[in-house]
Amino acid sequence: MASHRLDLEAIIDLIPPKARVLDLGCGDGLLLALLVQRRQVVARGVELVEANVRACIARGLSVRQGNIEEGLADYGDGVFDYVILSETLAYLDRPLPVCAEMLRVGKRAVISFDNAGHWAHRWRALRGGGTGHDLCSGEPRARSITLSQFAAFVACAGARIEQRVFVGGRGRIRRWPALFARIAVYVISRS
Amino acid sequence: MIVQTQYVTFERELKLHSGATLGPITLAYETYGTLNQDRSNAILICHAWSGDAHVAGYHTPDDPKPGWWDDAVGPGKAFDTDKYFIVCSNTIGGCSGSTGPASINPQTGRPYGLSFPIVTIPDMVEAQRWLMDHLGLSSWLTVTGGSMGGMQALQWAVSYPERTRSAIILAATAALSPQTIALNEVARQAIYADPNWNKGDYYGKTPPNAGLAVARMIGHITFLSDASMREKFGRRLKNEKFGYSFETEFEVESYLRYRGNAFTKRFDANAFLYLSKAMDYFDLAYGLPSLASAFRHITDTRFLVVSYTSDWLYPSWQSKELVRALLQNGLDATYVEIDSNYGHDAFLLEVDRLAEITRDFLKRVETTDWRVTVSI
Repeated sequence: MASHRLDLEAIIDLIPPKARVLDLGCGDGLLLALLVQRRQVVARGVELVEANVRACIARGLSVRQGNIEEGLADYGDGVFDYVILSETLAYLDRPLPVCAEMLRVGKRAVISFDNAGHWAHRWRALRGGGTGHDLCSGEPRARSITLSQFAAFVACAGARIEQRVFVGGRGRIRRWPALFARIAVYVISRS
Repeated sequence: MIVQTQYVTFERELKLHSGATLGPITLAYETYGTLNQDRSNAILICHAWSGDAHVAGYHTPDDPKPGWWDDAVGPGKAFDTDKYFIVCSNTIGGCSGSTGPASINPQTGRPYGLSFPIVTIPDMVEAQRWLMDHLGLSSWLTVTGGSMGGMQALQWAVSYPERTRSAIILAATAALSPQTIALNEVARQAIYADPNWNKGDYYGKTPPNAGLAVARMIGHITFLSDASMREKFGRRLKNEKFGYSFETEFEVESYLRYRGNAFTKRFDANAFLYLSKAMDYFDLAYGLPSLASAFRHITDTRFLVVSYTSDWLYPSWQSKELVRALLQNGLDATYVEIDSNYGHDAFLLEVDRLAEITRDFLKRVETTDWRVTVSI
């Protein structure tokens, strides 16, 4: 289990037992399966890639294939306790309406992202290495998001930050997260 | 796997959705595998327009052809006959052993023809429910089918949610699109236009084979996709060069003619008409404010909905609409869109990925407590 993405443990810690959870862009269903196992949550997922959806079904999960926008539109208001958007915010074309939808179908949203303000990213940018993925990396286009950018985003989404957890290479980061957090996990709700 | 078609006759009348009655009713059915001690491993497979009760295996050791879904039903297959007790019955209104327009009308002693009442998908399900009771089954582990079979599986969940633990809906819809109704109407018109059809009164005479063959050709076009036709036939010719005549020139023409003619040897034109009407009328939202309200009585049935990217007859948007209506009721619904070039036929052909998905889905249905509410 050493290959867990850094944010998974942090997210699991934030979710109370028996919560109703929707994971947007749930990939192969690892996070949802862990949440079912450790938190006995009622789990639902949305995933675009057919092979990932099949992997989710193999884990015994209930998943709807489709993009995040159409997946959110399937649900009524407030049916989930938590709607999770893990490591996906940077890839959304229009994050604001997605955030609004997350807070419509869920009481709270959990959003995790790579902190583009981490000192190593800043150092690379200063030396002319640019921001975001290298052009040769094969990764899709993504935004760079810093902690202060995210705080501004939450404000313009009309939401408030309830909890923040910062994760570095060796665990939780409590001091100078803007510089030392590799991954940020926020719990937000309607203000 | 050698199987025999069995028959059961119910000496009573079925009250149909149209208000008419039909009876007595004979159902042709086949079963595969063994029912377990607590009768919890029964699966109903519903066939599509041209299918029958013979879903898998062979009728005799030297039978040249297996059942219509032999790739998916059998030992170790998607619907594993080593684990499950599988039932498939011919729908009423059909022509493969169950009561349909070619059956003898007990009132007149002659074949029904057009005096056969219009039957609907819910009527077919009601007849299957009689069979279920006859077999002593209280619930299905799953009800599944593609196309018209998927409509029946959906109807099972709506009509008898307490007896349907799960439903696997393949390449189907909660209501046909106008495009598909239009194609059905063209197929019907081809039969009406054949003078041998004689308003459905042709039994004992020459049947309307030319009309039925054209109707089936239209069907075969709609079951394929642009991509699968290019792959399967391209512009390949029957002969080396153009003949500049009205003979069959292209392989795709030859395929359609062959399929159309072959169909007339095994299918009744009136049954084809009746089944097409059953599909046209199918609409779970009929008389209701929304499709979602059709599912409001369901709490525990789990759904697996599968569509195929190149299926333009039952396009993915219809499955997505269905899934949305299920999810709006908080139901447990999984949706997969399988990437395939095979068009509507994909549900019969993309068996490997289907096997993987159904195996995993059924494992969950089996291992979770039936009657524990799973909706959110």
